[in-house]
Amino acid sequence: MIQPLAIEVSNVTVAYPNGHIALRDATFTLQQGTISALVGVNGSGKSTLFKAIMGFVKPISGSVLLAGKTVEESRKTKLVAYVPQTEEVDWTFPVSVWDVVMMGRYGHMNFLRIASAEDKRMVNESLARVGMTEFKDRQIGELSGGQKKRVFLARALAQNGQIILLDEPFTGVDVTTEEAIIELLRALRDEGRIILVSTHNLGSVPEFCDHVVLVNRTVLASGPLEDVFTEDNLNRAFGGVLRHFHFESSTIQDHDGKTVKLLTDDERPLVFGKDGHLEYKDRFGREELVKKRKEEVGE
Amino acid sequence: MTDLLTPFEYDYMLKAILVSGLIGGVCAFLSCFITLKGWSLMGDALSHAVVPGVSLAWIVGLPFSVGAFIAGILAALTMGWVKKKSGLREDAVIGVVFTSWFALGLLLLSLYPSHLNLKTIIFGNILAISDPDILQVLIIAGISIIVLTMKWRDLLLYCFDEAHARAIGLNTSFLHFLLLALLSATAVAALQTVGACLVVAMLVTPGATAYLLTDRFGKMLIISTVTGALCGVCGAYASYFINGSTGGCIVVLQTLVFLLVLFLAPKHGILSLRKLRRQTTQTMPQSRIEKSGCAS
Repeated sequence: MIQPLAIEVSNVTVAYPNGHIALRDATFTLQQGTISALVGVNGSGKSTLFKAIMGFVKPISGSVLLAGKTVEESRKTKLVAYVPQTEEVDWTFPVSVWDVVMMGRYGHMNFLRIASAEDKRMVNESLARVGMTEFKDRQIGELSGGQKKRVFLARALAQNGQIILLDEPFTGVDVTTEEAIIELLRALRDEGRIILVSTHNLGSVPEFCDHVVLVNRTVLASGPLEDVFTEDNLNRAFGGVLRHFHFESSTIQDHDGKTVKLLTDDERPLVFGKDGHLEYKDRFGREELVKKRKEEVGE
Repeated sequence: MTDLLTPFEYDYMLKAILVSGLIGGVCAFLSCFITLKGWSLMGDALSHAVVPGVSLAWIVGLPFSVGAFIAGILAALTMGWVKKKSGLREDAVIGVVFTSWFALGLLLLSLYPSHLNLKTIIFGNILAISDPDILQVLIIAGISIIVLTMKWRDLLLYCFDEAHARAIGLNTSFLHFLLLALLSATAVAALQTVGACLVVAMLVTPGATAYLLTDRFGKMLIISTVTGALCGVCGAYASYFINGSTGGCIVVLQTLVFLLVLFLAPKHGILSLRKLRRQTTQTMPQSRIEKSGCAS
């Protein structure tokens, strides 16, 4: 009997050797076919949770189950793929795009790591999926920020990871590539994988995540985006870190077509409506939500 | 013409040339990992830290390489332990530990002279290498080559992205230890050729040279190994004519090759970078220059 894919984190507490408790009593569950955001400030335990899921740290209490198995058991099936932060990688390393993606296949190869026809096919297919085929012979340092991200995503695909962990996937990535990556993540979700994205970039979360895990030394809330991503919860998770721009009585007139334009230099802004509900950029694809809101206020 | 062949008429020269070439090649193979992993200082430390092992092995009657190898590993473990317990920076820890081990070695060697005298250990004396010592070098080199050719891909992944290596089930603690063990073993093998002081050059320079010449790790391994072996052979050969220290000849030769490559390498050489910069300044605005500088 094959267990359905899921991440079950129950009452996990992680302490570092110096006695510092990085995470206390964290509990959440992710089902297959979701894109989930792991949101919290720096030092809130996001990377500790990642490490616990990958089995790099051992919780002093609680358990992490992947598809019903312990992390150690599931490692044999190469279930978890990790896409590192851009800063974690040594880009001067003499390896090509092809070499890096092939590293995703190592776990599937024999003792000597000699690539089979199947390995090569998977690498080609993964490169094609992220649109990096023409760059396959480039040294990795010669790529742009977005291309670098795509290479490591291709490695996760080549590994055939069913649980894909991404660490800050949109830092240093231009807007077009960001859209392309989001598109790809959606396609992966629709194949039934679990995508878990660690980020402190709040504005991007409503754009592509359907599930949110809010962390601050523990899991504060976990659930569907609309339920968890509220002003109250975010204030709890971020404390005084967030900068608020409250348009108390804004100058928008009806003849402006009720349109506001927000400019930021890098990260996407997160916009809440009057009652603390999330605002989205487009109505397109969210007709249900618009209808629901209309009914709520009795329009 | 016949003058050029005279070194080959002497048995000891022939042995010296061949052993130098072999050790040069093995060290150079390993140097690709050492330079990329950022372990150059570690290589220097281990090559000095093996010295007390030579003396202790002599006292208890073991082959010198066994003692030296164990001393190297112990020194590496001490460094790891001190670093963890003290919270000092790595360079400080290496500095403290390797000098203590080296000092202990000097002390032991002065108190209990072994078959290798202090000068041989520190500066090398390949011309006087004995047959049993050649056998030890052959065994170390053979094992190192076999392990490296079988496991280079795993070691590469470990050096490049440890987290991924762990995530797909590679035993990274084992790979870490394996690299340390290979480093100690080759440092021991190179001890008699160039001496403890210059071993680090054999373990770094060929890798650094090859790095400037290619962007592919596979090619880097080949270029580095060939350079290392050729410098070993040619250096030992040349030392006959100039009547100089063999170790010195080998390392000076390696350095000359490195300097040549540093200036003339087709892509990463100083001259071609300068040329590229000139071209971009002529055709592109300021921002583009920064970029091409980063890319190379």
